[in-house]
Amino acid sequence: MKKVTNRALSVLVLAALVIAGLGVYLVRLVRDGGDWATFYANDSIYTNGLLNRGSVTDRNGTVLAAAGEDGFHYAEDSAVRRGCLHVVGDLEGNIGTSVLSIFRDKFINYSFLTGTTTKGGSMKLTLDADISAAAYNALGSNKGTVLVYNYQTGEILCMVSTPGWDPEQGVPAEPGDGAFINRAVSSTFTPGSVFKLVTMAAAIENIPDIWDQTFTCTGSTVIGGQTVKCSGTHGTITVEQALACSCNVAFGEISRQLGGTLISQYAEKYGLTSAHTLNKDIPTAAGSAPAAANDGDAAWEGIGQYDDLVNPYAFLRFVGAIANGGTVVEPTILYGKRCGTTELIEPSTAKTLSEMMSYNVSYEYGGAGNFPGLELHAKTGTAETYGGSHAWFAGFITNANAPLAFVVLAERAGSGYGVAAPIARTVLQKAVQVLG
Amino acid sequence: MDILTLIFGKAGPMLANLSRYVLPLVAVAIVARCVRSMLRERYEPETWAYLYMTGNIMVPLRHWECILGRARSVDGQVDDPSVEKMHACLIRSPQGDWTVYNLGKGETYVNGEPVRTGGAVVRDADVLTLGQISTRFVDLTEQERASLLKYRHAPGRHVRPSVTMLLLTVFQVLLLLQQLTYNPDAGVGVAMGFAILATVQWSYFIVVRASGQRGFEPEILALFLSTVGMSVCASKTPDDMFKQIVLFLAAIGLFVFMCLWLRDLKRVQATRLFAAVAAVGLLAVTLVIAPVRNGARSWIEFGSLTVQPSEFVKVLYVYAGAATLDRLFVNRNLIFYIGFSAACVGLLALMGDFGTALVFFVTFLVISYMRSGSFATAFLAVGSAVLAVMVVLSLKPETLSRFAVWGHVWEDVYEKGYQQVRAMSAAASGGLFGQGAGNGWLVDIYAAETDMVFAVISEEMGLLTALACVGSLLALAGFVVKNASSGRSSYFVIAASATVSMMLVQIILNVFGPMDILPFTGVTFPFASMGGTSLLSFWMLLSFIKSCDTRANASFAVKRPEKFSGGAGVDDDGADYLPEDGYYDDDGYYQGGRSE
Repeated sequence: MKKVTNRALSVLVLAALVIAGLGVYLVRLVRDGGDWATFYANDSIYTNGLLNRGSVTDRNGTVLAAAGEDGFHYAEDSAVRRGCLHVVGDLEGNIGTSVLSIFRDKFINYSFLTGTTTKGGSMKLTLDADISAAAYNALGSNKGTVLVYNYQTGEILCMVSTPGWDPEQGVPAEPGDGAFINRAVSSTFTPGSVFKLVTMAAAIENIPDIWDQTFTCTGSTVIGGQTVKCSGTHGTITVEQALACSCNVAFGEISRQLGGTLISQYAEKYGLTSAHTLNKDIPTAAGSAPAAANDGDAAWEGIGQYDDLVNPYAFLRFVGAIANGGTVVEPTILYGKRCGTTELIEPSTAKTLSEMMSYNVSYEYGGAGNFPGLELHAKTGTAETYGGSHAWFAGFITNANAPLAFVVLAERAGSGYGVAAPIARTVLQKAVQVLG
Repeated sequence: MDILTLIFGKAGPMLANLSRYVLPLVAVAIVARCVRSMLRERYEPETWAYLYMTGNIMVPLRHWECILGRARSVDGQVDDPSVEKMHACLIRSPQGDWTVYNLGKGETYVNGEPVRTGGAVVRDADVLTLGQISTRFVDLTEQERASLLKYRHAPGRHVRPSVTMLLLTVFQVLLLLQQLTYNPDAGVGVAMGFAILATVQWSYFIVVRASGQRGFEPEILALFLSTVGMSVCASKTPDDMFKQIVLFLAAIGLFVFMCLWLRDLKRVQATRLFAAVAAVGLLAVTLVIAPVRNGARSWIEFGSLTVQPSEFVKVLYVYAGAATLDRLFVNRNLIFYIGFSAACVGLLALMGDFGTALVFFVTFLVISYMRSGSFATAFLAVGSAVLAVMVVLSLKPETLSRFAVWGHVWEDVYEKGYQQVRAMSAAASGGLFGQGAGNGWLVDIYAAETDMVFAVISEEMGLLTALACVGSLLALAGFVVKNASSGRSSYFVIAASATVSMMLVQIILNVFGPMDILPFTGVTFPFASMGGTSLLSFWMLLSFIKSCDTRANASFAVKRPEKFSGGAGVDDDGADYLPEDGYYDDDGYYQGGRSE
């Protein structure tokens, strides 16, 4: 009998299995409960297929999307709706990186404790509806993206991606090319000359006599057997002038001196080749800058061609770091949520780059006369790709009330100075006015 | 009048809303009280006789069935090469007479007379010889027994069952309030159902309490789960409420009958073979006449009534599978047991009822483990292997296709993962406190009211209530293990262990299947799933748990030892629960005296 009674303990093995299973369940519930609860079949939060609770506003309280008595609606203004589409997202979940996809649990105010038994959440984003609308309008018919963020607080004021659509009208029968993708976070593009900022940083730190060198541009040169063409014929110039007029001959030579591996290491160090997460949950695409094996390829690598690919969000972090003395305040789109800082660039290097970017504007881009009201530091980029050039304009302004870093990209739209810079001017002037 | 409408129109929903937060706390309190009462209250082991070994070493016999032998695991160890590992078995009858049986090849003598098949009676002061070693058997005197009893407590001293019953009633009132508020289909029928439920449980409590029994934890836990099941029924189909309540009444009736039946172990022993035949017969008949439904032949239809005979077979299987010690280790009985198990699992395999086959298999393993001795192990290992193969054979394409999606349900939300993702979504949306009874949507998904009931409970009554439901079955398991140490007959210990094993396996499958932690197999949650046959069988199975409750004055499924009835119930504080007048009748029931 003693044996039988002792062996009754075997029942406890099954009990232990029950407890272990419950443990697994609870861990998963805590981790994934939000995803489970926001599943479209959850009739407690959907009425006729539409979310029946929750709202999301911009930083000033302008409603961007909200469930109401009469169903689910987006912002009142059409340009705001389109300008915020890729950040806010739509109910159908067409945009995978959007707030309505990633933070739907916050939107409906799900929590482990209360499930979906409470009223919906009222989310507030760092976006500014007016700036976003202005950026959307400025992009016009271009495919591309405009990113603007406060490099001191990390708040993203504007993250527009085109083409999009009006979510109030629903997805059109023929949505534009890549309409469901937020180009700012999910795409990578050939950077062209904006990448020269990376090469420049490497040169500052690794070529001791870089300030004493001069470069002679006759329109093209041959490096490692490859012909490197330039956009102009710049004559004999200093490195500052070379960056300002984006001289390929000069940067081809600098790149040769640096070597492909070192340039690649700098791209990696500045976070341009890794994937990031925005607010811990929104994934971004990783760029690439493979180390060129020979001098010819290295020249093109340092110029931002070769196999270089850059994600606009990652580049925003980079220019944000330059603006902020080398330390990037990690961007955020959730109002009141700070995401910390990362030391990205040597402070002295950042300072030098900042001065050079200011020099770019005054020496080459038309100075304050061309960008009234903006204390601008920037770099253009015209990236040659199949089917046209990507127009880039990236940098920051140091206006007292508007410490903003920005990246403008217009896909296959022409030159950086000709297409992207005017868009940036319009958006930044609007921002300075709004933040005034 | 407008003000009145306003007050009542608003007060109802407000109360219901408030009750959503109270309900899970009441559920947890009910289970916690039962757990405390079952597991925390101290109770001493019983002593029924003594054995004086060489050198006048006294060994108390703690059970009604004791093994004597050389092995360390026996109840009375006689360490001598002439003694077999398991040499003899001493068994006490309810009347207090002791019999010794020879178990192995060795010789056993009572006062020099060899013990033959059928055993020999042992009386006080008899000399019991095992091999070459002699021991003396000493029965308890009435005074000794009385003084031992003095230290045995009845349950309910610290945790009053009447208060737990009141909490259960509060739980039912809150559920009804929520159903009437949230569920547009709930009406008089649902209210009647809950009223009858409460009436029946209080009638049961008062009658049994008046008869002197004080242990109610197993019933209260089962009533708690049945109440939850009643609410699930109200959410699913309020029209079935009447059917559900009739089934509940039948279940209580069968439970009481089983408890009374199990009081007489001789009667039980005599009918085990009949139960085995009935079990196999029922399954065979089902296999022949049942139509294929969801890939399995496990349901028989009688008009509007559908019956799952394999549920009843669970009761019969435990009934026939448990055994007393004298038979436990006999090879012939073992072979019969393995054959019987193989027949049951084999028939279930033919029926294609994988879930039930799995439940039987695990129960077989538990019973086997408890039965296995030195020579039995090999038999049982082979038997286990054979049964395992049969369980695998019961897998039909329908079940296998559900297995394929295991761990990937979110990748197939439209088809194979359809039920699981909805179960998880609904469960998560309930939070800790739930949307309110009758306020859920999961119950409308196919088979949610039976196979995904844990998720339904989570959604409507909150995670806390759902965990309380699982906790009540874990509490029963702990209770059985704790009682085993003072179990009187191995029959009851094995039967109760097998019963809780079945329950635990079923909750493992029912809870973790829909949550995609295990493959999804359609198995019911004991007591709480809708579905009549399952409810009936689990209430019947509960009687095995009642029958192993040997606390003083605890269970009417346990017959009071008559020989010492005069000394029973001496109290150390004398105040509350002990008979001041009155007596115990032939069945051990307490007659007269006070009642609550």
